[in-house]
This record gives sequence, C-alpha cells and structure tokens, in this order.
Amino acid sequence: MKPSFSTRAVAFLASAALLAVTACSAGSGTSSGSSPGGDQNLSIGLVAEPASLDFTTTDGAAIPQVLLGNVYETLVEQDDSGKIVPSLAKSWTVSPDRKTYTFDLVDNAKFTNDKQFTANDAVFSINRVKTAWTTSLKAAMDVVSQAKALSPTQLQVTLTKPSNDWLFRMTTRIGAMFSESGVSALATAPVGSGPFKFSKWNRGDSIVMVRNDSYWGAKPYFQQITLKYFKDATALNNALLTGTINVIGTVQAPEALSQFTSNDKYQVIEGTTNGEVLLSFNNSLPLFKDIRTRQGIRMAIDHKALLDTCWAGRGKLIGSMVPPTDPWYEDLTGVAPYDLAKAKSLLQASGAVGKTLRLRLPTLPYATSCGQVVKSQLEQAGLKVAIDQLEFPAAWLTTVFKNADYDMSIIAHVEPRDLGAVFNAKYYTRYDDPTLQGYLAAADSGDEAAQVDNMKKAARRLSEQAAGDWLFLLPNLMVADKSVKGLPTNAITENFDLSKLAR
Amino acid sequence: MKRLNPSLIAGGVIVTVIVLMALVSFVWTPYDATLVTPTSRLLKPSWEHWFGTDKFGRDVLSQIMVGSRTTLFVGVVAVGVAAVIGVPLGILAAMVRRWPSEVIMRANDLLLAFPALLLAIMFGAVFGASTLTAMVAIGIASVPSFARVIRSGALQVMRTEYVLAARAAGRQPFPIALRHVLPNVTSLITVQASVSFAIAVLAEAALSFLGYGTPPPTPSWGRMLQESQEFLFTAPRLAIFPGIAIAIAVLGFNLLGDGLRDRFDPKLEDRR
Repeated sequence: MKPSFSTRAVAFLASAALLAVTACSAGSGTSSGSSPGGDQNLSIGLVAEPASLDFTTTDGAAIPQVLLGNVYETLVEQDDSGKIVPSLAKSWTVSPDRKTYTFDLVDNAKFTNDKQFTANDAVFSINRVKTAWTTSLKAAMDVVSQAKALSPTQLQVTLTKPSNDWLFRMTTRIGAMFSESGVSALATAPVGSGPFKFSKWNRGDSIVMVRNDSYWGAKPYFQQITLKYFKDATALNNALLTGTINVIGTVQAPEALSQFTSNDKYQVIEGTTNGEVLLSFNNSLPLFKDIRTRQGIRMAIDHKALLDTCWAGRGKLIGSMVPPTDPWYEDLTGVAPYDLAKAKSLLQASGAVGKTLRLRLPTLPYATSCGQVVKSQLEQAGLKVAIDQLEFPAAWLTTVFKNADYDMSIIAHVEPRDLGAVFNAKYYTRYDDPTLQGYLAAADSGDEAAQVDNMKKAARRLSEQAAGDWLFLLPNLMVADKSVKGLPTNAITENFDLSKLAR
Repeated sequence: MKRLNPSLIAGGVIVTVIVLMALVSFVWTPYDATLVTPTSRLLKPSWEHWFGTDKFGRDVLSQIMVGSRTTLFVGVVAVGVAAVIGVPLGILAAMVRRWPSEVIMRANDLLLAFPALLLAIMFGAVFGASTLTAMVAIGIASVPSFARVIRSGALQVMRTEYVLAARAAGRQPFPIALRHVLPNVTSLITVQASVSFAIAVLAEAALSFLGYGTPPPTPSWGRMLQESQEFLFTAPRLAIFPGIAIAIAVLGFNLLGDGLRDRFDPKLEDRR
C-alpha cells in the first residue's frame, strides 16, 4: 500500500516530538516544595554509588561517604575546622615518648546488633585492619604494635614509633569500630554503633538509612534518609527541581547552577573539599619515568582555562596534593605554569611527541568534561591522546586502579591528607620516590612543626617532580530546599554527616 | 518511463546533502571540531560561528558537519550487519520447508521481540561504550526486519515459473538463490536498507545521548544533545541545532525509503 502524505507527516512529527521530549525532559519540572516521604524523611541526590558496602575490602570514596559517622563510628573524629575531637573515645592521653595512646571510651554505646561497645571491640577492630582488610589504606595501621583493653572502657594502643598520622587516620575509615559478631556480611548488612542504621539498598538507585533510636548520643532529626544515585548530572538537578530529592549532595552540572541561585526556594552552599582532581600518570611506564614527559604535560595544560571550561570556574587551583584546609598548604600553582613552547620542547626531548597516550576516564561528569579539555590542550603540544571511557566504579577500579592498565586518568581523590597514600609504588600511580618517602616519614615521626615543614617539602617535591597534574580542587557545591539545615560548608572528611541535618 | 515521485526527490536531496556534508568535513570545516577554545565559550550565532559555540568553545557547525560522518558511518555499518545476516536468513527461510523455516522465523520473532535499545545498552555495558558497539548492536537488532521482508519477497520469487523450471532442470538450491532469488529481491533490500538507515541514525543518537554510543570528544549529534542539557535554559540553541540535524536526517532517509518503494513496486506506480 502506498503510504499517504499524512502517514509521512505523522512519522516526521513523531520523530520531531521524540527529539523535543528528549531535549525538554532534561530541563522540565517545577519544585513541589514538599519533602519526599514527609517531614521526617529526607532524600539526598549523589553521583557515585558504592560498588559494595564493605570498605574493608573495596576501595572507593562512596562507601565511607555513606557509612562512616552514620552507621560506623570512630574513636575520634574531625570537626568542621579539621581539629581532632572525641567520638567513641571521651578523651585520650599520649605518653611522653608519643608511642602509647590511652583512650577512655564511652560506656553507653551499643551496636545495632544489641551488643555493647567495649574496648574489646576497639581491639578487635584495630587488629582486624591488619589481618582482614585488603585495601591499600590498611597500611596506616602498620605502625600499631599492640592494642590492649585495660578495662571495658579503657583502651591502650602502642605504636612501634611516634606517628603524627596515626591518630588522624583513626578519624577515617580505618578507625571504624566494628562489633565482633557483626562482620559476617559487611558488603550487604553493615552493623555499627552510629546514629543511623542501614535499612535497604536498591542497587542502581538508592540506599535507605533509618534513625537508630537506641543511639547513645544526640538523636538525629530525620527518621529516614534516602541517598539516591544519579549518573546524569542534569537528571540530578532536575530531581531537586521536581521535588524527588531535597538536597543535591554534590552539584555535577555547575553551569546550570543559575537555575537555583535565581530561585528563592533553594539554598546554594559553596565551600571547599579535599577532592583534588588529579590527572594521574602511570609512573611505571618508561615514557612517564622521564620527568620531561611529566613536566611537559603539566606545562601544556592551561589550568585556569581548564577550570573555567569544564567546571564553570568553580573550584581552586592548587598545584599539588594539598587542599587549603590542611596546615601545610602552599600555593604551588607557580611550579609548573602554563608554557606551551616549553612544554613542546620538553615533550620533544623525551620522545613523547607523536606518541598516543591512553586517557582512561571514569564515567563521572567532571572527568568526562575535563578529559576533553586535557586531550585538546595536550594535542596542541604535540601529543596524541585517545580517550577511553570506563564505567565507574566497577570497570575503572578494575582496569585503572587495580591493574594499572592505563597511561593517564582523571579522578578526584577525596580522602583527607592522602598525599602519601596516593603517591607510592603500590598505588595505581606507581610513583616510587625515596626522597618523597623520606619527607613523609620525617613528617610522621617529628613534632608538629617538623610535620608541617616536611609535609610542605613533600608537596613541593611532588609538584616539582610532576608526579601527576593537579587540575583543580573540587568545590563543595550543594543545593537544597531552603528548609534543610545543617549542611556542611566544607566537605573535608570522608563522610557525609547525616546526623546534623534537620529541617 | 517511470516518473520520479516527490518523496524520492526530497529524500534523495536531503541524503545527498548529508553525504556531501560528511565528505566535505574530511577536507574542510570552519574550525577544528574538537579544538577546545576557552576564550570562545558559549558564543551566540554570528558570522564567525554560524551556529555559535559550545561550553568548550568548539564551533557547533563544525561539530554538526563532522557528526554527520558518525551518523552515516553508523548507518552504513548497522545496515550492512543487518543485511549480511538478515538477507541470507530470509532467503533460506523461504527456500527450506517446514520445521527449519519455522525455527528460523521463530528465532527471528524472538530477536524482534527484544527491544533494540536495550540490546545496544547491554552491548555497551559488556563491551564498553563505543561507536562500533552501537553500530553492531543496532545492526543485529535490525536483522529480523530484513529477514522477514526478504523472506516474503523470496517466497513470491520461488513460485515463479523460471524458478520452477530451474528446479525441474535439477539446479541446486544455492545457484537458484544466487541467480534467481537474490536479484529479484534487490529492490526490497534497497528499500529496507533505507528505512533501517533512518532507524539506525535515531538509535545512535539515542545511545550517544544516554552515554552508550560515541564517546567524547568524537562529534556525534546525539552526544551534542546530551552535552547541551546543562544549557537548556541559557543556550537552548545547543540542543536545537543537533536536534534539527537528527530530525532532518531521519526524515530524509524515510522519504528516500518511501520513494524507492514507490518506484520499485509496479502496483504502486500504476496507482499514480
């Protein structure tokens, strides 16, 4: 049968409508102004979903972001200014030789499996890091020679040598306290003593936390908090506009921020983070063992232009692996300033010109966006760059992080004070530098002044050696319904503290 | 002499323009389509940049020109995959009898029932998002429509006197398929290819929009749409230009398919 003109017209209109719907769906929606699920419930939109709930065996910042401080607690924690303050430990003393720490623990904390938290659980948790953990972060516990319960509420930890870093690390995930009878299913059923209980994980969609009504400390305001995961940055924005969520935990489309700043239904929070967006090099490859290649790449990148282009100018240029909130921060952006002519000559001298480098990117908005700028800028310096996108977290963690099968990558390292953890021979950067390790060791064992001095030297060394390129420091950009209170201005810890949120 | 019909002319012109645009882009574009120019971000359409620039400062017209290559490449390979598998299957299903034919066609129905985009997303998840993965997946998803159409045409050819004579003369099935059946279903293949091409263009755009198609920074109309989402309120042109390009391309291949069908089918021609 011959198709009539009207059939063709309908077909055309249908395809045009489909396109229109596709385009418009990304931007449509109005704010309902109400809370999904009621006043006692809150829904927060995030980007990277955890690969597992077990951070003892699985890397990735998304797991402690959800669980640390909310489900699991630590003996000590950081306050908003970065100072170490009590948590499950009411107080602590340090011996004159700085090798023995004695903690006085709270006596009313209870795990969600109804077991009382005691010093024995702390001993179990500390020892378990050394025996059962498989992630690279466990190395921070190597300095512990013995953990001993002096009484149910008193814990003594002896170190093999003085360490400034150890107590700080106890505020991070390796300091999480577990119940001995609650570690059988960490990947799916975490048991902790925190203000929230893990309730449900709808994989690919959301994690639901409910208030722990038998929590020993101040009870959280919200009865239930849902963490919803969005792969698409615009979908995340739209979820807030349509009232599906109440908070955007981390804005991934900063160019579209104006739609919230101009609307008095929302509050926009802008602060700083620990998230150094690193253009990482595989330093085990011959090409990257040549410092001229590394320096050439750093100098070929116009960081200011990159930040303006891929993250709407929001964030901070840092020049090394230290955020401004750390005591040893120095502005090192002048170490390798943008100089295309010099970059070309360095890359020519190292033999990198004309070679194709694989830039393997996780499917995260900032990485996809910045990767295109990096490729374009490096190609102007004579390199060839092949972008390869790997699904995040699973494919990227396996290919780049575990197998180091990459030339360059882009990822934000959000762990606090992670300079030493990221730049060593065992980590995916494969950066083996005895001088750097010397500075780090001296910083760890020295007094406070020596720590600051040596950490500054370490940061400068990294920058001068161009062990990677620090594209910028991610800003803490959050948008929320105006009624939500307690959102942090700065995100300088591993966790998203849900207990402080209220309405 | 057969008259040319309006659909054929309009479709032919649109497709020719797209093909020419793709060919020209190999030797000339107004600007480098992938060159990031931070100082030229989000420029409005002007004499320097007819369609403006995107958030990376890349010229939108240049990207649409280079993106047409991706569109055509995907269409050619997807239709190629579908034809190479679907045509022999259709002819085979027409020539064999009883249960082998049933097996082929029911397997065909099974594949037809599977959503094409879902199949492509599965391919992307397993083999990684790339233009090649998208093309092969779209091609495989188009196999059933080729096999069905070609089978019906081949069944008619198999009943013709010259085929019956060839069989009576003891010709083997393969030479009959090659010499008598295939040449007589060529028009069907051409029409089906044209229609499938339009579907492939739309599917590639959808996959790139979802992040399972052409990876950045290779220009692709679908990914241009995806990247424009952030700017729907501030720079809607970034969605409009690639959107129009996709709509015109799909319309062009559909019109061409309709026109070719009219031209090849004598019954339809007689009704003019």
